[in-house]
Amino acid sequence: MKKVTKRAFAVLLLVALVATGMGVYLFRLIRDGGDWATFYANRSVYTDGVLNRGSVSDRNGTVLAAAGEDAFHYAADSTVRRACLHVVGDLGGNIGTSILSIFRDRFIDYSFFTGTTTKGAAMKLTIDADVSAAAYNALNGRKGTVLVYNYKTGDILCMVSTPGWDPEQGINFDVNDPAYEGAFINRAISSTFTPGSVFKLVTVAAALENMPDFWQRTYTCTGSDIIGSQTIKCTGRHGTLTLEQGLACSCNVVFGHLGSELGGALISQYAEKYGLTTAHTLNKDIPTAAGSVPAAQGAGDAAWAGIGQYEDLINPYAFLRFIGAIANGGKVVEPTILYGKSCGSEQLMVPSTAQTLSEMMSYNVQYEYGASAYPGLEMHAKTGTAETYGGTHAWFAGFITNANAPLAFVVMAERAGSGYGVASPIANAVLQKAVSVLG
Amino acid sequence: MHLDLSGLNFDFVSLLFGQASDTLANISRYILPLLALWIVARCVRSMLRERYEPETWAYLYLAGDVMVPLRHWECILGRAKSVDGQVDDPSVERMHACLIRGPQGDWTVYNLGKGDTYVNGEHVQPGGALIQDADVLTLGRVSARFVDLTEEERSALLKYRHAPGRQVRPGATMLLLTLFQLILLLQQLTYNPDAGVGVAMGFGILAAAQWTYFTVVRTAGQTGFEPEILALFLSTVGMSVAASKTPDDMLKQIILLLAAIGLYVFMCLWIRDLKRVKSVRLYAFFAAVGLLAVTLVLAPEQNGARNWIQFGSFSIQPSELVKVLYIYAGAATLDRLFVNRNLIFYIGFSAACVGLLALMGDFGTALVFFVTFLVISYMRSGNFATVFLAVAGAVLGVMLILTIKPHVIARFQTWGHVWEDVDDRGYQQSRALSAAASGGLFGQGAGKGWFIKIVAAETDLVFAVLCEELGLITALCCVASLVVLAIFVVKNASSGRSSYFVIAASATVSMMLVQLMLNVFGATDILPFTGVTFPFVSMGGTSLLSCWMLLAFVKGSDMRANASFAVMRPEKFSGGVGVEEPDYPEDGADGYYGGGAYDGGADDGYYSGYSDDGGYPADNGYPPSGGGGRRDGGRRSRGGRR
Repeated sequence: MKKVTKRAFAVLLLVALVATGMGVYLFRLIRDGGDWATFYANRSVYTDGVLNRGSVSDRNGTVLAAAGEDAFHYAADSTVRRACLHVVGDLGGNIGTSILSIFRDRFIDYSFFTGTTTKGAAMKLTIDADVSAAAYNALNGRKGTVLVYNYKTGDILCMVSTPGWDPEQGINFDVNDPAYEGAFINRAISSTFTPGSVFKLVTVAAALENMPDFWQRTYTCTGSDIIGSQTIKCTGRHGTLTLEQGLACSCNVVFGHLGSELGGALISQYAEKYGLTTAHTLNKDIPTAAGSVPAAQGAGDAAWAGIGQYEDLINPYAFLRFIGAIANGGKVVEPTILYGKSCGSEQLMVPSTAQTLSEMMSYNVQYEYGASAYPGLEMHAKTGTAETYGGTHAWFAGFITNANAPLAFVVMAERAGSGYGVASPIANAVLQKAVSVLG
Repeated sequence: MHLDLSGLNFDFVSLLFGQASDTLANISRYILPLLALWIVARCVRSMLRERYEPETWAYLYLAGDVMVPLRHWECILGRAKSVDGQVDDPSVERMHACLIRGPQGDWTVYNLGKGDTYVNGEHVQPGGALIQDADVLTLGRVSARFVDLTEEERSALLKYRHAPGRQVRPGATMLLLTLFQLILLLQQLTYNPDAGVGVAMGFGILAAAQWTYFTVVRTAGQTGFEPEILALFLSTVGMSVAASKTPDDMLKQIILLLAAIGLYVFMCLWIRDLKRVKSVRLYAFFAAVGLLAVTLVLAPEQNGARNWIQFGSFSIQPSELVKVLYIYAGAATLDRLFVNRNLIFYIGFSAACVGLLALMGDFGTALVFFVTFLVISYMRSGNFATVFLAVAGAVLGVMLILTIKPHVIARFQTWGHVWEDVDDRGYQQSRALSAAASGGLFGQGAGKGWFIKIVAAETDLVFAVLCEELGLITALCCVASLVVLAIFVVKNASSGRSSYFVIAASATVSMMLVQLMLNVFGATDILPFTGVTFPFVSMGGTSLLSCWMLLAFVKGSDMRANASFAVMRPEKFSGGVGVEEPDYPEDGADGYYGGGAYDGGADDGYYSGYSDDGGYPADNGYPPSGGGGRRDGGRRSRGGRR
């Protein structure tokens, strides 16, 4: 009998299996419950396939998307709908990085504890609908992106990507139409582009920290030069320049020499250090694309890499963090898109480097771009005109130090012309609007 | 069976509470899981926390007043540590002899292995020898005095045994259960637009039936109700599932439940008498195989399986009934365990059952039987070679099933990939997970879910219905109920009278746990979807009947004093010691102990490697274990009876 009764303990093995299985289930429920609950077949949150609860509004309470009694609606204003499409997303889940895709469980107010037994959440974003609409209008049909964020608080005021569509109308265009190329992705976070001259800020930072005679150096630009075996062309004949002047007039000869002297490896290393080749996550859940700055081998390639050409590819969101760090004394406040949810900060660069870069970016505006182009804005910026097949990407990245509007921005218009000619006016228009709404 | 009550439906709850009914139902959503937790916790406390003292049936006195209590009806004596009565002497075999108590209180001693055993100097023959109070039992060169307990002595001991129900009163738990049912009814009437008079009647009849049962059994002096309360709890949840699925068909459901409880009572009374149980075991063998064979011939193929037989408007699933027969026939008393022939017969029987189920295409049930087979054969033999061979055979069998049944392969392929094909192969599980997550901890409310409309939601996917409508807490309480039953059985095993009850109870809870796992983990994509029922909860008449009948085996393992009416009280069969002819062996077909079938079987590693000695539960609460003196007095007074 004793043996038989002891063998009854074998039953406990099955008990352990039940416990293990339940543990696996609970683990998965906690991890994936939000995805399960937002599955389109869940009739407790979908009525006839349409979400029946939840709403999302901008920082001022302007509704961007909401489930109503009868139907699901987006923002009342059609420009706002288009401007906020890539942030908010649509019911069909066409924008994979949007609120309605990534945070659909929060939108319906799902939680492990309450399931879907509540009435849905009223989500609030840091986005400003009016600033976004201004950005959308300023892009004026060009493909591109405008990112604006408060480098003190992390709030993203504007994250517009074009082209898009009116979510109220649905997808009533030919998805293969070149005019709608990349309509389903948010260029601000999901794409990488050749940076061109805006990347010179990284090269300058590397030079500052690695060339003791940084301030004593001068270079002479005769319109072009041969570095390694490659001809580096410049936009003009700049004559003899200090490095500060070289950045202001964005002289390729100066930066070609800097790049080749610093070497491809060091440039790549600085890009990595400043988070430009890292895949970040926005609010812990929205993934962003990682840029790439491979270490150029020869002097010629390194020269082009230092200019922001070669194989350099940068994600606008990552560049915004970099700019935010410069603006904030080297410490980047992580951007957030969910109102009231801060995401911490990180010391991205040495404060003195940030200070110098900031001064140089101000110098750019004072002596090259002209402060009158940005009335009322305490502008620090850098232009970029990136050579690509089919045209040049127009970049303008920087920040303003207005007391009520500590904003950093990145504007990129795809194959749209020069940074100063195209991107700079867009930035001005958006920032004027932003400063006015922030008072 | 179908009674159309839909014309009578009206909104009771609004009538009673007016506008407040929605608020009331909403609040009740939070009370329901608390009640579920409370009910299960009370059962756990009284089942697992109360003291368990083994019964004592007789003593062996060795030289130097070493007393060996005999705690079971079937005791092995020998030198090994794993035996029930250890006699540590080189002249004694590791497994020397076996003492078996007959249903009339008569004790028989059998010689095991190669050693010699004597009763009062007479050599014990292969057929065994009767042994009575004060007889001298000799094992090898060691002599011991056998002391049977008198009725007075046994009842004196009984007073010190703990009866359940004092610390945790079953009546209070029953009240909580009734409240639980009331809240479910309230929610059904509020949330389920189709629920009406029929549902109310169903819950009412259930409450009336359970209180009748409780009153009758309690009046009869039994105080242990935990297994029934847990089963009633699960069946109540099952009633709510039925009310959500087919609110107009509640009468059928409640009649089935009453029939199930009736069969449970019958089974409990039946297994009180081990002799009676054993006398029809052979018929159970044939009935099991016969039922499956008949099913295979008569049942039409549905969804790749033939397991339903239709009788007019009534259909039954014979494989469910075979579960009861399988355990009934598969469990065995200790004496039978020593005969290899019995084990081989049992393996053949199991292979026939699993094979027939495989032919029927019922892969899930075949798997349930197979695991139950493993548990029973492990407990019966402990011979790992046998188990290994069986596993090898079964693996081949499973491969065979996989090659001939494409729908089983498809389910294995879908396993872990339900989200990749949500509208075809992963249709059921993806929706099950979605609905389950929607319920949160407290559920949407009974009758408020959408998932119940999905095919098989009320049976194979019922866990998702529980999670969605009643919430994760209540669903986990349902899982816990079966787990607690299993632990209860393990705990009971140490005080079991006969290995038959220990094996039957262990096999029962194993079967239920395997079904539970296949059901819950199949629905949630943790295991391949096999389509078996959640014991007591899933809708389906035959399954409900078999679960309740099987519960009798759990009840039969409950050896606490006055706890279980499936266990005969010791004082009821203490008369007539030694006057009747021995009953063993009564079953000539098996020929146990006959013809030296056991020769050489005991010592050759059969028990080797099994020498850990966990010991018995401490004898706390017992009277001082007496001394030789008291015993001697008793001997003299009873000497005259012989």
